Amino acid sequence: MAWQIVRRLLIFVGSVLVASLAVFWLLSGIGDPARVQLGTGATEEGVRQLREQMGLNRPFFTRYLEWLGGTLHGDFGSSYISHAAIGPQLADRLSVTLWLVLGAMVLSVVVALPLGMLAALWHRRWAGTLISGITQLGVAVPAFLVGILLIALFAVRLGWLPSGSYVVPAQDPGGFLEHMILPWLSLGLVQAAVLTRYVRTAVLDQMGQDYLRTARAKGLTPWQALLRHGLRNAAIPVLTVLGVQLVTILVGAVVVEQVFVIPGIGQWLVDSVGNQDLLTVQAIVITLVAIALAVSFVVDVLYTLVDPRLRHG
Amino acid sequence: MAEPVSTATGPAVSPEPAQAAVAPLPAAERRRPGALLVTGGTIVALVVVVAVVSFFWTPWSTIYTDVLHWHAGPGTAGHLLGTDIRGRDVASLLMAGAQTTLYVGLLAVGIAAVVGTPLGILAGMTSRRWTEVILRITDLWLAFPALLLALTFATIWKSSLTSAMIAIGVATIPSFIRVVRSGTVVVMSSDYVQAARVAGRRGPAIAVRHVLPNVMGLVIVQVSVAYAIAILAEAALSYLGLGAGPTTPSWGRMLFENSSLLQAGYPVVLLWPGLAVALAVLGFNLLGDGLRDRLDPRLVGR
Amino acid sequence: MTLRRPRALLALLVGAAVAVSACSAGSSVAGTSSSSSSSSSSASSSSAGAGGSSAGGATSGSSGGSGSSGTSSAAPVSDASLSIGFILEPTSLDFTQADGAAIPQVMLTNVYETLVKLDQKGDIVPSLAEKYDVSADRKTYTFTLRSGVKFSNGTPMTADDVKFSFDRVTTAWKPAIKAEMGVVASTTVVSPTVVEVTLKQPSNSWLFDITGRVGAVFSKTGVADLATKPIGTGPYVFQTWNRGDSIVLQRNDAYWGQKPDVKTVTFKYFKDPSAMNSALLTGGIQVVSTEQTPETLGQFKDTSKYQIVQGATDGEVMMTMNDGKAPLSDVRVRQAINYALDKQAILQGAWSGYGTVIGSHESPNDPWFVDLANKYPHDVAKAKELLAAAGQSNLTLNLTLPPVPYATAAAPIIVSQLQEAGITVKASDVTFPVWLDQVFGKADYDLTIINHVEPRDIATLWANPQYYTRYDNKEVQQLLAAGDAGTQEQYVADYKKAVGILADDAAAAWLWSFPNLMVADANVKGLPKNLVGEAFVLSDLSVA
Repeated sequence: MAWQIVRRLLIFVGSVLVASLAVFWLLSGIGDPARVQLGTGATEEGVRQLREQMGLNRPFFTRYLEWLGGTLHGDFGSSYISHAAIGPQLADRLSVTLWLVLGAMVLSVVVALPLGMLAALWHRRWAGTLISGITQLGVAVPAFLVGILLIALFAVRLGWLPSGSYVVPAQDPGGFLEHMILPWLSLGLVQAAVLTRYVRTAVLDQMGQDYLRTARAKGLTPWQALLRHGLRNAAIPVLTVLGVQLVTILVGAVVVEQVFVIPGIGQWLVDSVGNQDLLTVQAIVITLVAIALAVSFVVDVLYTLVDPRLRHG
Repeated sequence: MAEPVSTATGPAVSPEPAQAAVAPLPAAERRRPGALLVTGGTIVALVVVVAVVSFFWTPWSTIYTDVLHWHAGPGTAGHLLGTDIRGRDVASLLMAGAQTTLYVGLLAVGIAAVVGTPLGILAGMTSRRWTEVILRITDLWLAFPALLLALTFATIWKSSLTSAMIAIGVATIPSFIRVVRSGTVVVMSSDYVQAARVAGRRGPAIAVRHVLPNVMGLVIVQVSVAYAIAILAEAALSYLGLGAGPTTPSWGRMLFENSSLLQAGYPVVLLWPGLAVALAVLGFNLLGDGLRDRLDPRLVGR
Repeated sequence: MTLRRPRALLALLVGAAVAVSACSAGSSVAGTSSSSSSSSSSASSSSAGAGGSSAGGATSGSSGGSGSSGTSSAAPVSDASLSIGFILEPTSLDFTQADGAAIPQVMLTNVYETLVKLDQKGDIVPSLAEKYDVSADRKTYTFTLRSGVKFSNGTPMTADDVKFSFDRVTTAWKPAIKAEMGVVASTTVVSPTVVEVTLKQPSNSWLFDITGRVGAVFSKTGVADLATKPIGTGPYVFQTWNRGDSIVLQRNDAYWGQKPDVKTVTFKYFKDPSAMNSALLTGGIQVVSTEQTPETLGQFKDTSKYQIVQGATDGEVMMTMNDGKAPLSDVRVRQAINYALDKQAILQGAWSGYGTVIGSHESPNDPWFVDLANKYPHDVAKAKELLAAAGQSNLTLNLTLPPVPYATAAAPIIVSQLQEAGITVKASDVTFPVWLDQVFGKADYDLTIINHVEPRDIATLWANPQYYTRYDNKEVQQLLAAGDAGTQEQYVADYKKAVGILADDAAAAWLWSFPNLMVADANVKGLPKNLVGEAFVLSDLSVA
């Protein structure tokens, strides 16, 4: 099992390296930072000089290794547009986004676990069907639409909650919660719909297993049998989905931050794309990709730990 | 067996991925696959019909701005669903937006299917080592969701519907590779392929003659699922102002241009395109689910 | 070369992008009269001051609002702080090296001061100079400096510093705006408090120009690190810059003039206009310096909590046409486009009616303003007629849009109206760097929409055939050149004529004069009604 984990770790590190190379190639290989920086009035001579000055004429791999080296120390360079250091901002923005993502994640799990189990237990009743139908709809609705609907109802119509912007939790915890409720709901509810469906299926599968029938034969209620024996097994496919969801929410946050004007990494990414700020986009994209890969690495490891078949495989 | 496709690839690879907000759905609705198929099919057909009709007719021109009615309510001055922030007819824009939606999906999914299917077959037919390499690459590839890749492309090249479509297509390739590979593995272990091999048929011939026709069903299911993803990604990009251009009718673009009306207190203009996106995504999702339920028992059970 | 040379347009345009920023021209009429008196009266002091507060005593530190001429020592001073929302963040604090309207917006007048400055009406009034005299040939300006002025590094301001600063513009500055000092032949120190500037030829715009960036007075010993340690004489000193978020200025307690009321001012930057609105609603800021989504102003209608300030800027929102490229090189096509547009409707639909429809390159504040708004009344038949005459009945044009709210807003209405006249418009969005490169740099475009924010920038746009407007009209070039070098009367008369020719030629489709639209908490006092000059002046602000 230790070997399994080491192997996964190696794969993870390798993947991040290859991904960083791909990102660097796209944004610093194909894109031309010197031209972008000069913008108007860029003469060929000027571009050439600046390329020289910025060290863009050096071999691709030299530049890549230099960037990679800096990145590993948290030094992502300075934006070509604002000349501000990217690293510190990345940390700030990411912390905002992580609040958003984690809150949404927790919300979706809290909603989906009981709902999915209920849907499974009641799968022959109308309530179960109703839950399935609602989740089917929920899956189709984009998170940003949920956001718009929530703003329309709770901010515009009822005036209960603010329509957007962000409050730093350390400064004003109450205000922070007030501002985050709607964004969390928009991201979390959609993911809850997806998750509910997986939980339902996983639980249904377990309910058909012999050991649960045995447990019930011993006099346990379906709930007891499920909670005592079935959850661990049902957790395996659900765990997988949770990892995927975390990444989905992270990307979904890009749009939801726009709806609620939250100064997270997604809004920064969209701004930087608009400014053709190659280096900043590069830093943000590799960060998000690295997070995605890390999540899938962690899920894989947990998978190995949880699944008895793999433990001895 | 929550997810037939991922289990077919074996637990050693990471979980079946999902992109945007739609994860491939668990095939839990086996009891009445017909209902899913019919509902999904109907919605998709509706979107197609609206798109086709809008080619020839919309109530108003999609670029006409009614300078007397800015963001007017439904029914105002002959505007069935009202006008948007710049006085354009919402119903007409919605109809024409269906064209963009279908067009974007067609191109993106087309790219993904045309590139992903042969690679998937290849991955299913080659030696273990190569399979491993291809699967590793798709794993990595999957860490670049459609929206992220589209934003990256928009930075390097001019942001446009085309660059968005290509990005979405490229990002969707690995899901095709995986699905097709898992189908190929099943087909390759079947008796008739074994027989063909014994008879001396070469790889390419087997791929075209036996594998492709048999995985076609899976490809069609995946097309439907990927279509839903593409629609969502386009809507999101256009909503960010990085997709459809100013005069291209697009649901996402409508959301983008009218977004300030939310603060101004006229949210209703935003609801229509939002609902249109949701409906189209729902349609393709249901269609995909319905098709998968039809196909799965035979292919996976073989 | 009498004309102002094309300016650093990156700056201008970055400013334009955000639509507001600095610049808005001095208001004309007043400015004209005062400076004309100065030029005509030969030798003696023409301190062009508001309210005759010419020479002597007036510490006219703050113009306009806050009754300035009081003695600084006795003024009550509060510990209030204020956060003001802006869109465009500076790229650097050093406007001698970096361009962009956002830098002088923060630094000028607040941290750095000029010899003369613009008051709220746009008049040129003394600042660091107590008075100035103009010679009879209008080529020599003699400035008498205020005494007792100290830089924030403690050194006193003398004539040497002024000469050092003026000379440094041509020798060490990078932004193209340094060309404004090109007309200066020499700067001479007469005494520690008197500086004499000699021009190569008379120029009406020069004195106006030195109310801006190029006129800023730096300390001879304080320019080593302008990017991080700015040293000036102004009522505020730079404190911190949290990049990507905010810049904080602190009151200069050793200021020579009327000390400002607000102790700490935070310039807070928002990329998204609705985020800025939200911040005002939630108390994160007290002032929205530029409202970019006027349709949402309804959310601030509660006058007990908010105030809406409406005035003018010097920005002209225009649909620029590529005058050098067929078919737009044909004046009939350009006129047809102007006839096809219903500008009042565009202003209403795109900017909720805030602003004023204009018909040529002018702000209502310019001394040479002529109301040409009805030069081309909305007349689709006439437009079609002109197009037919030009042989362009089936015309397709590209409209390249920078990512600015007013362009995104106006484009759909323009596309619709031109379609009715038979012109098919293909609109496309581009990023700002692409816009700068393709449209502004290479003039590879048919139509675009942009707000030219710089004050009195008519010569920049229309006297230079290489400019992206590609407008080449010898008569206009001569008029603008002669006007600049001529007397005040000639200046106004010639510019008026040039403005008229531009309208006749339909050199562009001018849409509206960009409004100064601010929203603030009701208790914030002293907000400028009109945006005048390049700075966002803080010294008049107070919190009740």
